Amino acid sequence: MFHKVLIILSSALTVASAIGVLVTKDIVRACIFLFFSLFGVAGIYASLGADFVAVTQIMVYVGGVVILMLFAVMLTGGPGKESAGSKGYLLIPMMGNKITFGFGIFSGLVLLLTMAKITKSVIASVTISEVEGFASTVERIGSLLVSEHVLAFEISSILLLGALVGAAMIARPRKNV
Amino acid sequence: MNSTVANYFSEFESYQKMVDWLSGIAGFDTATLVMVVVISLMAFIVINAMMLVGGLGTYAERKISADLQARIGPNRVGPYGILQFLADGLKMTMKEDVTPAKADKVLFNLAPFLSLFGIFGTLAVLPISSGLALSHLNVGVFFLIAISSIVGIGIFLGGYASNSKWSMLGGMRGASQIVSYEIPVTLSVLSIVLLAGSLNFKVIVGGQTGMPTGWFIFHNPFSFMAFFVYSIAALAEANRAPFDLPEAESELVSGYHTEYTGMKFGIFALAEYIEVFVLASVAAAMFLGGYNVPFHLGGDGIIGQVLQLGAFVTKSLLIYYVVIWIRWTFPRLRADQLMVVCWKYLTPIAIFNLVGSAVWLYAFKGQSILQLVLHSGGSSAGGH
Amino acid sequence: MANNSINVLIPIAVCLGFAVIIYLVVMLASKILRPHEPNELKNSAYECGEQPIGTAWSMFNVRFYVVGLIFIIFDVESVLMFPVVSVFKKLNAMGMGGVVLIEILLFIGILVAGIAYCWSKGDLDWVKSYQPAKKK
Repeated sequence: MFHKVLIILSSALTVASAIGVLVTKDIVRACIFLFFSLFGVAGIYASLGADFVAVTQIMVYVGGVVILMLFAVMLTGGPGKESAGSKGYLLIPMMGNKITFGFGIFSGLVLLLTMAKITKSVIASVTISEVEGFASTVERIGSLLVSEHVLAFEISSILLLGALVGAAMIARPRKNV
Repeated sequence: MNSTVANYFSEFESYQKMVDWLSGIAGFDTATLVMVVVISLMAFIVINAMMLVGGLGTYAERKISADLQARIGPNRVGPYGILQFLADGLKMTMKEDVTPAKADKVLFNLAPFLSLFGIFGTLAVLPISSGLALSHLNVGVFFLIAISSIVGIGIFLGGYASNSKWSMLGGMRGASQIVSYEIPVTLSVLSIVLLAGSLNFKVIVGGQTGMPTGWFIFHNPFSFMAFFVYSIAALAEANRAPFDLPEAESELVSGYHTEYTGMKFGIFALAEYIEVFVLASVAAAMFLGGYNVPFHLGGDGIIGQVLQLGAFVTKSLLIYYVVIWIRWTFPRLRADQLMVVCWKYLTPIAIFNLVGSAVWLYAFKGQSILQLVLHSGGSSAGGH
Repeated sequence: MANNSINVLIPIAVCLGFAVIIYLVVMLASKILRPHEPNELKNSAYECGEQPIGTAWSMFNVRFYVVGLIFIIFDVESVLMFPVVSVFKKLNAMGMGGVVLIEILLFIGILVAGIAYCWSKGDLDWVKSYQPAKKK
């Protein structure tokens, strides 16, 4: 019972906040909607029995990336004057055109129908069942990381190194300008 | 190892009988429902106790500071002024709520909530005793660190939404300070996780003993250092002096909650005081033996649980006292010193501790320094 | 009974739910009790008595962003370390300690190289002193 409640609540939170991200005009509010959306995703992970991934989602995305986004917004001086008109389709500069938006909606609908056709058979075959093995996924992940997937583990370290050096390089002011 | 407080109660016969009885009445299996009710009751008790701790924290803060400065402190409401926090709470509830005209009103209301949300999430995994803890999650420590980082977003939003220059500066400082100091905290916690071999608080605390000889702080020199790195970084994460730059009253008026009045300010303060207690109790659980009672007095029954609760609360409150003591002893750091302390001192030391703990575990097969000394014939007794 | 089930998440959900309830109750209670008499001066931002000029939402120094970036990188590192570190004791008892230790040391070593680079280039300094480029 709790399982279903968790799935429904987190899905509703995810979808509703994702819509909020799209609808809102204020960029900081969009960040906060994204925060709730990511939190809902963590709830979905937890409901699937992936406790470690769920907490990772909270740690990296909810507690980290959102802060980074907020810093990036403040780097550019916060929400500026609203460039949007009263009508929604003027929101995106350079693309605000009735024809482009009409075309976009049309292709979106086609895509949606195609996806519905594909997912219909998938959904029919899936039955929601209680997750049994909520045992430690952490230990399995840990022992796999140091045995089978040790290369991925070490390479991720190099990736992080690259990101660290790159971030420092980009943020450094050009001295000879 | 995954278990909740309901698992503990379900070992009693009367619990099973009650579930069966209710199922008979309702006509369906009420096990989950009873579980939710039991957990909710327990959570209600824990949360109210925490709010009491938070409230008494403000009183203790004022009383201890008065003590350190040879003053009397609050002494009007109740005996020794101990009901002062109730009076403060009532006053805050009745204060006018001023929202700045230029503020982002939705986010202005959301910010205190996010602080509270992050802190209450941590209470679910707080290891108050072996049976009564709300849940012993397999990823307990990890979850606690992750969910408490939401407080940083609350503080940033509080500063941002006020649209006041002081608040904005305080919010930016607060968020960058909290995210920075999360790294040394996490790395120090990692070196204890390494010694305990689990992220579950029950295993971590179970790996220690009631007497100080079995505590993880005295396990090896690296965990001893990790305790101090953790303590310093946790002070900064809770925005406590000498790291209270987000609310430095002499430079930023009141920092991120300059524009907050009434109960919204109260919620921020409450969240901060509870966070101090939570971080103190994590220190107690990770390094100082947690809820272990010396000589395993009381066993695992109800009496034992109460004793364990007592041991846990005593250790946490002692650390809480030291935190307040530090606040009234040390001057505040500068913003640049803050970052230097985090990135050039604490983080490298924490990484060194982590590596050192791993090497120690490998070299000495997980034995503590005391065990090594005793095994070598006692010739170098008193090494610690 | 429910030892390995999803029910272990109930306390977390309950606690987070209590946060919502308590916030709403407290806000509602204070809304009923408190006075509400706003005026223009009261609702302006507090700047020690001066008239506030402009908005507080201005451009902030890039160093906050750099701190955020470095934090994310160490965050991901610690997330990767958590599972490895929590099984290290068990693997050590099984006699695999040496290999795993070398793997952990390599992983941390690469990142230490990164932070050492940033340190030597002065990216960890909060107050940076920029020398003008040397003329050739």
